[in-house]
Amino acid sequence: MWLLAGGAVTVWCSTAGGDPARGERVFQRCFACHSVVAGEDKPPGPNLRGVVGRRAGTRLGFRFSPALIEAGARGLVWTRAALDAYLADPERFLPGTEMAMPGLSLAVDRRDVIDYLEKSGPTPRRTP
Amino acid sequence: MRRSLLVLLITLLVLPPVASAEVAVQAYPLPPGGGPHDVAVGADGIVWYTAQRAGQLGRLDPASGKVDLIPLGPAAAPHGVVIGPDGAPWVTEGGTNSIVRVDPRTREVKRWPLPEARGYVNLNTATFDKRGRIWFTGQNGIYGRLDPASGAMQVWDAPRGRGPYGIATTPDGDVYYASLAGSHIVRVDLDTGAAIVIEPPTKGQGARRVWSDSRGRIWVSEWNSGNVSRYDPKTKEWKTWKLPGDSPRAYAVYVDDRDKVWLSEWSANAMVRFDPETEKFEAFPSDRRGANVRQILGRPGEVWAPESGADRLVVYRMK
Repeated sequence: MWLLAGGAVTVWCSTAGGDPARGERVFQRCFACHSVVAGEDKPPGPNLRGVVGRRAGTRLGFRFSPALIEAGARGLVWTRAALDAYLADPERFLPGTEMAMPGLSLAVDRRDVIDYLEKSGPTPRRTP
Repeated sequence: MRRSLLVLLITLLVLPPVASAEVAVQAYPLPPGGGPHDVAVGADGIVWYTAQRAGQLGRLDPASGKVDLIPLGPAAAPHGVVIGPDGAPWVTEGGTNSIVRVDPRTREVKRWPLPEARGYVNLNTATFDKRGRIWFTGQNGIYGRLDPASGAMQVWDAPRGRGPYGIATTPDGDVYYASLAGSHIVRVDLDTGAAIVIEPPTKGQGARRVWSDSRGRIWVSEWNSGNVSRYDPKTKEWKTWKLPGDSPRAYAVYVDDRDKVWLSEWSANAMVRFDPETEKFEAFPSDRRGANVRQILGRPGEVWAPESGADRLVVYRMK
């Protein structure tokens, strides 16, 4: 679970150093709903380019679930640790999420796919 | 607490009055953590569901409420389940990229893997045609067909790539699927496997699932637009209705034996029944937060909905 501390999310654990090439293959489980290609916004989930470091529920032009918008307003930022916890069990981490996938049970899969996301493109300096 | 009351109040104001003395609602609790994704009920009344997060197929006996769980193997993450003409549950097993049959008596699990060259396709939903073949969709951009008698499997690239989602068979045996990312529906040529794209009138609507009524008209739940739409293959005409509420999200659709159209609506956390004759909606809000019904199926007199976020199966029985 994520914890709020002074309006920001306290995070720990989950380090880089995995295999982003393998992470791209893991991303096939996400591919039906997400893209990391700049400007590709037709899939039903938000574009994940630059998602690492972004405040939850804030990508412009995407209609997020109320649960994600609320979490972002309360300070949830998609750090590596937050992504790791979310991807392990999305509905438990964030009840009300509309993301359909049941989660990635293997820590190595989560680490590598987060590596892949991190390398997919620049994290915006300031989220709108 | 105040926010919850406000949400409840708004929900009650924007939704039509809860129906209906003619419908009895019963919820069956399931083993926690399974995340029931899809459900299917056989002619014998036994209910099968995919416990996607647990990698199992569940079997519920509604008479006793007893649930049995059948493991589908390491890395399993089953998405869809339908009852085949043989009375067995058939599963689109996304975790292992295979079509799976579970023998209802022996519980034996038989698996038909997709060709390795296809890679991971994110299997979604399946339907049987009238020739005993099972057709299936893969969200990463494929649809396919398996003939269980011969074991022959064919997989085709979907037009416009990723998106194939719900799939259904009409009373005449035609097969249609919806493309969520592609925002269209497809009729499949049963002989050649060719996909014929049909465009709903609402641009970018996010066609998620399809079902047929008794006249072969195709009903579509539109995730992005919050509409339910109907395509008549005879006249090629569409008709569209917006679900109740400010920003509805129509996930699943199913047409019951009385040609009433059932939908799961995520914004209001409700099941919704639409009467095509009166063009009126009735809402059945869940009493659990974030119930997240992802699919609906039934048999005459019963409509079943898996509450993936609440680990329950809910049945709506017509009196």
